[in-house]
Amino acid sequence: MSKPMRDFTRGELEWAPWITPVDADAASEEQRQALKITPSNRAVGAYALVLAHDPASLAERSPLYNGIMFGTRGLPRADRELGAVATSQVNGCAYCASVHAKRFVELSKRPDVIDRLYAEGLQALLDPRHKAVCDFSVKLARDPVAMKEGDLAPLRAQGLTDLEILDLVHAVAMFSWANRLMQSLGEPVPG
Amino acid sequence: MSPTPTADVRDVMDELAGLAPDSRLGQLRRQRPDVVRHLQRSDEAIFTPRNDGGLSAAERVAAALRIAVLLRDDRLQEHYRARAIEHDGAQLAASAADPSSAPREPRWQTILGHVDRLTSDPDSARREHIDALLASGLSPQAVIALSQLVAYVNFQARVRAGLRLLGSQP
Repeated sequence: MSKPMRDFTRGELEWAPWITPVDADAASEEQRQALKITPSNRAVGAYALVLAHDPASLAERSPLYNGIMFGTRGLPRADRELGAVATSQVNGCAYCASVHAKRFVELSKRPDVIDRLYAEGLQALLDPRHKAVCDFSVKLARDPVAMKEGDLAPLRAQGLTDLEILDLVHAVAMFSWANRLMQSLGEPVPG
Repeated sequence: MSPTPTADVRDVMDELAGLAPDSRLGQLRRQRPDVVRHLQRSDEAIFTPRNDGGLSAAERVAAALRIAVLLRDDRLQEHYRARAIEHDGAQLAASAADPSSAPREPRWQTILGHVDRLTSDPDSARREHIDALLASGLSPQAVIALSQLVAYVNFQARVRAGLRLLGSQP
Protein backbone atom coordinates (compact mmCIF):
# COMPACT_ATOMS: atom_id res chain seq x y z
CA MET A 1 0.00 0.00 0.00
CA SER A 2 1.27 3.43 -0.90
CA LYS A 3 -0.64 5.05 1.95
CA PRO A 4 -2.47 4.01 5.10
CA MET A 5 -6.08 3.09 4.62
CA ARG A 6 -8.62 5.54 5.93
CA ASP A 7 -11.50 4.41 8.07
CA PHE A 8 -12.41 1.18 6.26
CA THR A 9 -14.88 -0.02 8.83
CA ARG A 10 -17.62 -2.48 8.12
CA GLY A 11 -19.97 -0.09 9.86
CA GLU A 12 -22.47 2.00 8.02
CA LEU A 13 -21.24 4.95 6.01
CA GLU A 14 -23.34 7.40 4.06
CA TRP A 15 -22.22 9.49 1.11
CA ALA A 16 -22.64 13.26 1.02
CA PRO A 17 -22.41 15.02 -2.37
CA TRP A 18 -20.29 18.12 -3.06
CA ILE A 19 -22.52 19.21 -5.91
CA THR A 20 -26.21 19.97 -5.53
CA PRO A 21 -28.20 16.90 -6.66
CA VAL A 22 -30.91 17.19 -9.27
CA ASP A 23 -34.24 17.94 -7.63
CA ALA A 24 -36.23 14.76 -8.27
CA ASP A 25 -39.47 16.72 -8.50
CA ALA A 26 -38.03 19.08 -11.11
CA ALA A 27 -36.16 16.42 -13.15
CA SER A 28 -36.50 16.41 -16.93
CA GLU A 29 -38.04 13.44 -18.74
CA GLU A 30 -34.55 12.24 -19.77
CA GLN A 31 -33.32 12.50 -16.18
CA ARG A 32 -36.33 10.59 -14.86
CA GLN A 33 -35.74 7.82 -17.38
CA ALA A 34 -32.04 7.62 -16.52
CA LEU A 35 -32.90 7.34 -12.82
CA LYS A 36 -35.19 4.35 -13.32
CA ILE A 37 -32.46 1.72 -13.19
CA THR A 38 -29.99 2.22 -10.39
CA PRO A 39 -27.60 -0.02 -8.45
CA SER A 40 -29.21 -0.68 -5.10
CA ASN A 41 -27.42 0.73 -2.12
CA ARG A 42 -28.14 3.13 0.70
CA ALA A 43 -26.62 6.16 -1.00
CA VAL A 44 -28.33 5.59 -4.31
CA GLY A 45 -30.58 8.56 -3.76
CA ALA A 46 -28.03 11.35 -3.55
CA TYR A 47 -25.47 9.64 -5.78
CA ALA A 48 -27.88 8.89 -8.62
CA LEU A 49 -29.41 12.37 -8.37
CA VAL A 50 -25.95 13.93 -8.71
CA LEU A 51 -25.13 11.75 -11.72
CA ALA A 52 -28.51 12.68 -13.23
CA HIS A 53 -27.07 16.10 -14.13
CA ASP A 54 -25.67 14.17 -17.11
CA PRO A 55 -28.52 11.74 -17.78
CA ALA A 56 -27.13 10.08 -20.92
CA SER A 57 -24.06 8.67 -19.14
CA LEU A 58 -26.10 7.63 -16.09
CA ALA A 59 -28.63 5.80 -18.27
CA GLU A 60 -25.89 3.46 -19.57
CA ARG A 61 -23.74 3.22 -16.46
CA SER A 62 -26.44 1.73 -14.24
CA PRO A 63 -27.27 -1.29 -16.46
CA LEU A 64 -23.54 -1.74 -17.16
CA TYR A 65 -22.91 -1.92 -13.43
CA ASN A 66 -25.74 -4.40 -12.94
CA GLY A 67 -24.51 -6.61 -15.80
CA ILE A 68 -21.01 -6.71 -14.32
CA MET A 69 -21.87 -7.24 -10.66
CA PHE A 70 -25.07 -9.32 -10.95
CA GLY A 71 -24.75 -11.16 -14.31
CA THR A 72 -25.66 -14.85 -14.05
CA ARG A 73 -23.12 -17.72 -14.28
CA GLY A 74 -19.40 -17.06 -14.36
CA LEU A 75 -17.50 -15.76 -11.36
CA PRO A 76 -19.35 -16.18 -8.03
CA ARG A 77 -20.75 -12.86 -6.88
CA ALA A 78 -18.71 -12.97 -3.66
CA ASP A 79 -15.51 -12.93 -5.72
CA ARG A 80 -16.73 -9.95 -7.76
CA GLU A 81 -17.42 -8.14 -4.48
CA LEU A 82 -13.94 -9.04 -3.21
CA GLY A 83 -12.47 -7.55 -6.40
CA ALA A 84 -14.54 -4.42 -5.71
CA VAL A 85 -13.22 -4.21 -2.14
CA ALA A 86 -9.59 -4.67 -3.21
CA THR A 87 -9.93 -2.02 -5.93
CA SER A 88 -11.61 0.39 -3.50
CA GLN A 89 -8.75 -0.10 -1.04
CA VAL A 90 -6.15 0.64 -3.72
CA ASN A 91 -7.98 3.85 -4.60
CA GLY A 92 -8.73 4.73 -0.98
CA CYS A 93 -12.52 4.83 -1.50
CA ALA A 94 -13.77 4.24 2.04
CA TYR A 95 -17.41 4.41 1.04
CA CYS A 96 -17.24 1.73 -1.70
CA ALA A 97 -14.96 -0.49 0.41
CA SER A 98 -17.43 -0.38 3.28
CA VAL A 99 -20.51 -1.17 1.17
CA HIS A 100 -18.87 -3.97 -0.79
CA ALA A 101 -17.10 -5.55 2.17
CA LYS A 102 -20.54 -5.91 3.67
CA ARG A 103 -21.89 -7.49 0.48
CA PHE A 104 -18.91 -9.87 0.34
CA VAL A 105 -19.59 -11.02 3.90
CA GLU A 106 -23.32 -11.47 3.21
CA LEU A 107 -22.55 -13.64 0.18
CA SER A 108 -19.53 -15.57 1.48
CA LYS A 109 -20.26 -15.75 5.24
CA ARG A 110 -16.54 -15.05 5.68
CA PRO A 111 -16.16 -11.94 7.86
CA ASP A 112 -12.68 -13.16 8.79
CA VAL A 113 -11.42 -12.38 5.27
CA ILE A 114 -12.43 -8.74 5.61
CA ASP A 115 -11.15 -8.53 9.20
CA ARG A 116 -7.71 -9.66 8.00
CA LEU A 117 -7.74 -7.30 5.05
CA TYR A 118 -8.44 -4.39 7.39
CA ALA A 119 -6.04 -5.51 10.11
CA GLU A 120 -3.10 -6.47 7.92
CA GLY A 121 -3.76 -4.71 4.63
CA LEU A 122 -3.80 -6.16 1.17
CA GLN A 123 -0.71 -8.26 1.84
CA ALA A 124 -2.71 -10.26 4.39
CA LEU A 125 -2.23 -13.97 3.95
CA LEU A 126 -5.64 -15.10 2.74
CA ASP A 127 -6.58 -18.56 1.60
CA PRO A 128 -5.23 -19.21 -1.90
CA ARG A 129 -8.40 -18.36 -3.82
CA HIS A 130 -9.07 -15.11 -1.98
CA LYS A 131 -5.40 -14.22 -2.22
CA ALA A 132 -5.36 -14.86 -5.97
CA VAL A 133 -8.49 -12.73 -6.50
CA CYS A 134 -7.16 -9.90 -4.29
CA ASP A 135 -3.65 -9.86 -5.73
CA PHE A 136 -4.86 -9.76 -9.30
CA SER A 137 -7.41 -7.03 -8.49
CA VAL A 138 -4.81 -4.87 -6.74
CA LYS A 139 -2.38 -5.07 -9.66
CA LEU A 140 -5.04 -4.33 -12.25
CA ALA A 141 -6.49 -1.45 -10.24
CA ARG A 142 -3.07 0.07 -9.61
CA ASP A 143 -1.25 -0.13 -12.94
CA PRO A 144 -2.93 -2.00 -15.82
CA VAL A 145 -0.12 -1.46 -18.31
CA ALA A 146 2.42 -3.08 -15.96
CA MET A 147 0.52 -6.39 -15.88
CA LYS A 148 2.20 -9.45 -17.33
CA GLU A 149 1.02 -12.84 -18.60
CA GLY A 150 2.23 -14.47 -15.41
CA ASP A 151 -0.20 -12.41 -13.33
CA LEU A 152 -2.98 -14.73 -14.50
CA ALA A 153 -1.24 -17.87 -13.25
CA PRO A 154 -2.58 -17.76 -9.66
CA LEU A 155 -6.15 -17.39 -10.96
CA ARG A 156 -5.67 -20.27 -13.39
CA ALA A 157 -4.18 -22.36 -10.58
CA GLN A 158 -7.42 -21.83 -8.65
CA GLY A 159 -9.34 -23.16 -11.64
CA LEU A 160 -10.85 -19.88 -12.86
CA THR A 161 -12.17 -20.09 -16.42
CA ASP A 162 -11.69 -17.35 -19.02
CA LEU A 163 -15.24 -16.11 -18.39
CA GLU A 164 -14.62 -15.99 -14.65
CA ILE A 165 -11.40 -14.04 -15.19
CA LEU A 166 -13.19 -11.64 -17.54
CA ASP A 167 -15.86 -11.16 -14.87
CA LEU A 168 -13.17 -10.23 -12.34
CA VAL A 169 -11.54 -7.86 -14.84
CA HIS A 170 -14.91 -6.19 -15.38
CA ALA A 171 -15.50 -5.87 -11.62
CA VAL A 172 -12.10 -4.24 -11.07
CA ALA A 173 -12.67 -1.93 -14.05
CA MET A 174 -16.17 -1.04 -12.79
CA PHE A 175 -14.78 -0.02 -9.42
CA SER A 176 -11.92 1.85 -11.06
CA TRP A 177 -14.87 3.80 -12.48
CA ALA A 178 -17.21 3.90 -9.45
CA ASN A 179 -14.50 4.86 -6.95
CA ARG A 180 -13.50 7.87 -9.06
CA LEU A 181 -17.08 9.14 -9.17
CA MET A 182 -17.67 8.62 -5.47
CA GLN A 183 -14.32 10.19 -4.57
CA SER A 184 -14.56 13.23 -6.81
CA LEU A 185 -18.21 14.15 -6.32
CA GLY A 186 -18.66 13.74 -2.57
CA GLU A 187 -17.36 12.14 0.60
CA PRO A 188 -18.21 9.39 3.10
CA VAL A 189 -19.83 10.49 6.32
CA PRO A 190 -20.89 8.46 9.36
CA GLY A 191 -24.35 6.97 8.83
CA MET B 1 -29.33 6.54 -29.86
CA SER B 2 -27.15 4.68 -32.34
CA PRO B 3 -27.94 1.09 -33.20
CA THR B 4 -27.28 -1.48 -30.54
CA PRO B 5 -24.13 -3.44 -31.35
CA THR B 6 -24.91 -6.98 -32.32
CA ALA B 7 -22.79 -10.07 -32.08
CA ASP B 8 -21.02 -9.45 -35.38
CA VAL B 9 -20.34 -5.71 -35.02
CA ARG B 10 -16.87 -4.65 -33.94
CA ASP B 11 -17.17 -2.18 -31.06
CA VAL B 12 -14.73 0.24 -29.47
CA MET B 13 -13.45 -2.27 -26.91
CA ASP B 14 -12.80 -4.83 -29.69
CA GLU B 15 -10.79 -2.19 -31.55
CA LEU B 16 -8.80 -1.25 -28.45
CA ALA B 17 -8.04 -4.90 -27.68
CA GLY B 18 -7.35 -5.78 -31.31
CA LEU B 19 -10.16 -8.34 -31.44
CA ALA B 20 -12.45 -9.56 -34.18
CA PRO B 21 -16.02 -10.16 -32.95
CA ASP B 22 -15.85 -13.82 -34.00
CA SER B 23 -12.45 -14.47 -32.40
CA ARG B 24 -12.12 -16.50 -29.20
CA LEU B 25 -11.94 -13.38 -27.02
CA GLY B 26 -14.56 -11.55 -29.08
CA GLN B 27 -16.93 -14.45 -28.38
CA LEU B 28 -15.89 -14.52 -24.72
CA ARG B 29 -16.87 -10.84 -24.39
CA ARG B 30 -20.20 -11.64 -26.03
CA GLN B 31 -21.06 -14.11 -23.31
CA ARG B 32 -21.79 -10.87 -21.43
CA PRO B 33 -24.08 -9.16 -23.96
CA ASP B 34 -25.40 -6.57 -21.48
CA VAL B 35 -21.86 -5.50 -20.67
CA VAL B 36 -20.92 -5.24 -24.36
CA ARG B 37 -24.08 -3.28 -25.21
CA HIS B 38 -24.00 -0.78 -22.36
CA LEU B 39 -20.23 -0.30 -22.58
CA GLN B 40 -20.52 0.74 -26.22
CA ARG B 41 -23.47 3.02 -25.46
CA SER B 42 -21.49 4.52 -22.56
CA ASP B 43 -18.75 5.41 -25.03
CA GLU B 44 -21.31 7.22 -27.17
CA ALA B 45 -22.90 8.96 -24.17
CA ILE B 46 -19.50 10.15 -22.97
CA PHE B 47 -17.87 11.20 -26.26
CA THR B 48 -20.75 12.05 -28.60
CA PRO B 49 -23.65 13.11 -26.40
CA ARG B 50 -26.63 14.84 -27.99
CA ASN B 51 -26.43 17.46 -25.25
CA ASP B 52 -22.84 18.13 -24.17
CA GLY B 53 -23.66 20.50 -21.29
CA GLY B 54 -20.91 22.83 -22.45
CA LEU B 55 -18.01 20.34 -22.38
CA SER B 56 -16.98 20.17 -26.04
CA ALA B 57 -16.13 17.07 -28.04
CA ALA B 58 -12.57 18.35 -28.52
CA GLU B 59 -12.15 18.89 -24.76
CA ARG B 60 -13.51 15.42 -24.03
CA VAL B 61 -11.15 13.67 -26.43
CA ALA B 62 -8.16 15.73 -25.26
CA ALA B 63 -8.91 14.87 -21.62
CA ALA B 64 -9.13 11.19 -22.57
CA LEU B 65 -5.79 11.36 -24.35
CA ARG B 66 -4.25 12.89 -21.24
CA ILE B 67 -5.46 9.88 -19.20
CA ALA B 68 -4.02 7.43 -21.71
CA VAL B 69 -0.67 9.27 -21.43
CA LEU B 70 -0.77 9.18 -17.62
CA LEU B 71 -1.51 5.45 -17.73
CA ARG B 72 1.25 4.91 -20.34
CA ASP B 73 -1.21 3.00 -22.54
CA ASP B 74 0.08 3.38 -26.11
CA ARG B 75 -2.90 1.86 -27.88
CA LEU B 76 -5.33 4.03 -25.93
CA GLN B 77 -3.23 7.11 -26.82
CA GLU B 78 -3.35 6.18 -30.49
CA HIS B 79 -7.14 5.78 -30.26
CA TYR B 80 -7.72 9.21 -28.74
CA ARG B 81 -5.20 10.94 -31.00
CA ALA B 82 -7.18 9.63 -33.97
CA ARG B 83 -10.44 10.79 -32.42
CA ALA B 84 -8.94 14.23 -31.73
CA ILE B 85 -8.29 14.64 -35.44
CA GLU B 86 -11.89 13.62 -36.21
CA HIS B 87 -13.16 16.26 -33.79
CA ASP B 88 -10.83 18.94 -35.07
CA GLY B 89 -9.17 19.00 -31.67
CA ALA B 90 -5.61 18.02 -32.57
CA GLN B 91 -4.13 21.18 -31.05
CA LEU B 92 -5.94 20.80 -27.75
CA ALA B 93 -5.04 17.10 -27.69
CA ALA B 94 -1.37 17.87 -28.26
CA SER B 95 -1.47 20.24 -25.31
CA ALA B 96 -3.12 17.61 -23.14
CA ALA B 97 -0.42 15.10 -24.01
CA ASP B 98 2.30 17.63 -23.19
CA PRO B 99 1.19 19.73 -20.21
CA SER B 100 3.99 22.26 -20.63
CA SER B 101 2.35 23.39 -23.87
CA ALA B 102 -1.19 23.54 -22.47
CA PRO B 103 -2.98 26.86 -22.96
CA ARG B 104 -2.75 28.91 -19.75
CA GLU B 105 -6.48 29.32 -19.90
CA PRO B 106 -7.87 28.82 -16.36
CA ARG B 107 -10.83 26.68 -17.40
CA TRP B 108 -8.65 24.19 -19.29
CA GLN B 109 -6.01 24.13 -16.55
CA THR B 110 -8.71 23.35 -13.99
CA ILE B 111 -10.06 20.55 -16.20
CA LEU B 112 -6.58 19.04 -16.63
CA GLY B 113 -5.98 19.25 -12.88
CA HIS B 114 -9.17 17.25 -12.28
CA VAL B 115 -8.19 14.69 -14.92
CA ASP B 116 -4.73 14.19 -13.41
CA ARG B 117 -5.89 14.00 -9.81
CA LEU B 118 -8.69 11.59 -10.50
CA THR B 119 -6.55 9.29 -12.64
CA SER B 120 -3.40 9.15 -10.51
CA ASP B 121 -4.54 9.85 -6.95
CA PRO B 122 -8.34 9.77 -6.66
CA ASP B 123 -8.18 9.87 -2.86
CA SER B 124 -6.80 13.41 -3.04
CA ALA B 125 -10.05 14.75 -4.55
CA ARG B 126 -11.65 17.44 -2.39
CA ARG B 127 -14.74 19.63 -2.43
CA GLU B 128 -12.67 22.69 -3.33
CA HIS B 129 -11.75 21.04 -6.65
CA ILE B 130 -15.42 20.73 -7.61
CA ASP B 131 -15.97 24.32 -6.50
CA ALA B 132 -13.04 25.39 -8.73
CA LEU B 133 -14.52 23.59 -11.76
CA LEU B 134 -17.87 25.29 -11.23
CA ALA B 135 -16.16 28.65 -10.66
CA SER B 136 -14.24 28.27 -13.93
CA GLY B 137 -17.55 28.19 -15.77
CA LEU B 138 -18.37 24.48 -16.07
CA SER B 139 -22.04 23.63 -15.62
CA PRO B 140 -22.98 20.93 -13.10
CA GLN B 141 -23.68 18.70 -16.11
CA ALA B 142 -20.18 19.34 -17.51
CA VAL B 143 -18.59 18.53 -14.14
CA ILE B 144 -20.45 15.20 -13.97
CA ALA B 145 -19.66 14.44 -17.62
CA LEU B 146 -15.96 15.12 -16.98
CA SER B 147 -15.84 12.84 -13.92
CA GLN B 148 -17.71 10.13 -15.86
CA LEU B 149 -15.20 10.50 -18.68
CA VAL B 150 -12.14 10.15 -16.44
CA ALA B 151 -13.70 7.15 -14.72
CA TYR B 152 -14.67 5.56 -18.04
CA VAL B 153 -11.22 5.85 -19.64
CA ASN B 154 -9.71 4.35 -16.49
CA PHE B 155 -12.22 1.49 -16.92
CA GLN B 156 -11.17 1.05 -20.56
CA ALA B 157 -7.50 0.71 -19.64
CA ARG B 158 -8.27 -2.05 -17.10
CA VAL B 159 -10.44 -4.07 -19.48
CA ARG B 160 -7.89 -3.68 -22.23
CA ALA B 161 -5.15 -5.00 -19.93
CA GLY B 162 -7.33 -7.92 -18.86
CA LEU B 163 -8.08 -8.88 -22.46
CA ARG B 164 -4.38 -8.58 -23.34
CA LEU B 165 -3.54 -11.11 -20.60
CA LEU B 166 -6.37 -13.45 -21.62
CA GLY B 167 -5.12 -13.28 -25.19
CA SER B 168 -1.62 -14.29 -24.17
CA GLN B 169 -2.63 -17.74 -22.92
CA PRO B 170 -4.64 -20.52 -24.59
